[in-house]
Amino acid sequence: MRGFGYLSKEGVRSVWNNRMMSAASIGVLVSCLLITGAAMLISLNVNNVVEQVGKDNQITVFLKDDIDELTAIQKVGPEIRHLDNICDCEFYSKDQAITEWESELGPLFGELQGEENPLPNAFHVTMVDLSQYGETVKSIKSVEGVDMISDRSEVAKRLTDLNRLVTQVGLWLVAALGIVSLFIISNSVRMTMYSRRFEISIMKSVGATNHFVRTPFVIEGIVLGLISGVLASCIIAFLYEAMMTAVKYIVPITEIPYDQLAVEMTGGFILFGMVVGAVGALISIGRYLNMEGGEILGW
Amino acid sequence: MIQFKNVSKVYPNGTQALDDVNITIEKGEFVFIVGASGAGKSTFLKLIMKEEQPSSGTIYINGINTTDMKRRKVPYLRRTMGIVFQDFRLIDKMTVFDNVAFAMRVIGARPRAVKKRVHYILGLVGLKDKAQSRPAELSGGEQQRVSLARALVNNPSLIIADEPTGNIDPEMSFEIIELLNEINKQGTTIIVVTHEHDLVQKFKNRVIEIQGGRVISDTGAPSEKAEIPIEISKEQLAEIPEEIAEEIPDVSEEELNREALEAITDGEAAEE
Repeated sequence: MRGFGYLSKEGVRSVWNNRMMSAASIGVLVSCLLITGAAMLISLNVNNVVEQVGKDNQITVFLKDDIDELTAIQKVGPEIRHLDNICDCEFYSKDQAITEWESELGPLFGELQGEENPLPNAFHVTMVDLSQYGETVKSIKSVEGVDMISDRSEVAKRLTDLNRLVTQVGLWLVAALGIVSLFIISNSVRMTMYSRRFEISIMKSVGATNHFVRTPFVIEGIVLGLISGVLASCIIAFLYEAMMTAVKYIVPITEIPYDQLAVEMTGGFILFGMVVGAVGALISIGRYLNMEGGEILGW
Repeated sequence: MIQFKNVSKVYPNGTQALDDVNITIEKGEFVFIVGASGAGKSTFLKLIMKEEQPSSGTIYINGINTTDMKRRKVPYLRRTMGIVFQDFRLIDKMTVFDNVAFAMRVIGARPRAVKKRVHYILGLVGLKDKAQSRPAELSGGEQQRVSLARALVNNPSLIIADEPTGNIDPEMSFEIIELLNEINKQGTTIIVVTHEHDLVQKFKNRVIEIQGGRVISDTGAPSEKAEIPIEISKEQLAEIPEEIAEEIPDVSEEELNREALEAITDGEAAEE
């Protein structure tokens, strides 16, 4: 397209010429991107924790008191292994359990060995798919000799709910902040246009097409978005590392390393900034494109 | 050629700016439009520039009915015109060169063509040595000449000057009209709106007087105007001093306007 170089230069120059307004726009857009990015990162990390819990899909099946070790290993164990959705079934004797309690809770439990041991024999069962938790537990309970099963479904449910909440709040934040960003960029470009309305009126009088009038302002919006995206990416990378160090100090979780997210986050921020910039500029310029001569100058 | 057929214009607030106006201005004419403030002169120009739409009647510019012209084609119509404003409308932060070049750049002219053409036009209006000056450093007359250079730079077939002498002293006013006369001798149609009767009387050109939105007098074109050559002949070109001839862009008026005319007449193919 002829003249694109000239129009691009004009757009970039305008960012500098209106640097106070540009700085304000960039500041607001960076803030919006940071809040949006923070919501996304929290959501991704909660999701990550849920996945980790999901992978740890082992349950404990306690046997009735009258089931001895031999019956458990020879009869109950093979029956559980033959059920659907069972990946592994490992015997866990009541002697192993009390020894473990002793090492964790103190020598008092050492006296409860042998006949005095109140704990039941059990199996550590690993499921293939935790989403079929309910059906699998029901099948295991139907096996003769099974007394009760440790329930982990509540933990998984709470984490899933938390993740859903964070995702929904994040989406609303993105939507709300996106609209705020659009408004800010649109106002910034409108200020530029107001200060350049004289040029716009001359452009139109000498036969510039709407496309030519519009392009520098759209480029200005895109440049503002691009700068905001790059700045927000750098800030969030720094903040993420600092925040995760603090969070891990309180809750021992395995976070997603920022290196794994850097490309998507940076690309997303820049793309989001540029799209918001371009759309904001288009909203503002539309008003001027429909005006003529003195109307543009407010005469 | 410009033709107004039974054109009336009533603004939304009820003001009747033009009332059943019938005017024909032939190619190569120099016409003064005179009348008091509020007579309808500016509306007449706005209708030519397609800044306003007539309430009734038909307007033809270069044989094209512009009354129902689509909005997207208006820029191409305007490329066949050059506008000179009373208040010059120069951009203060730009140099004289850039102010003139601006008109070429916004229609997508190539940088090389811009440089060559702007220097040539500034020479034509006597401002070659002021190319790097800012408008604020120039006198009123010089600023109006920059405005005229900007109107001329895209080689339009029509120059519209809205009160071009309104902000300059009488001596400079005479010079500006004299310059427009010279441009007219090259075949460019000139329409000058003014309320300065003294100035009009000094030049033997056609005068149309508008009052209350109606044409109340029209002197008609002086007979000698018909003999004005529209194109520069080879003999005339040979008479141009070599150093000036070298600077004249090797682009004819027809070539410069071809794109614009094609866009107006060829329909969808030539759209932006």
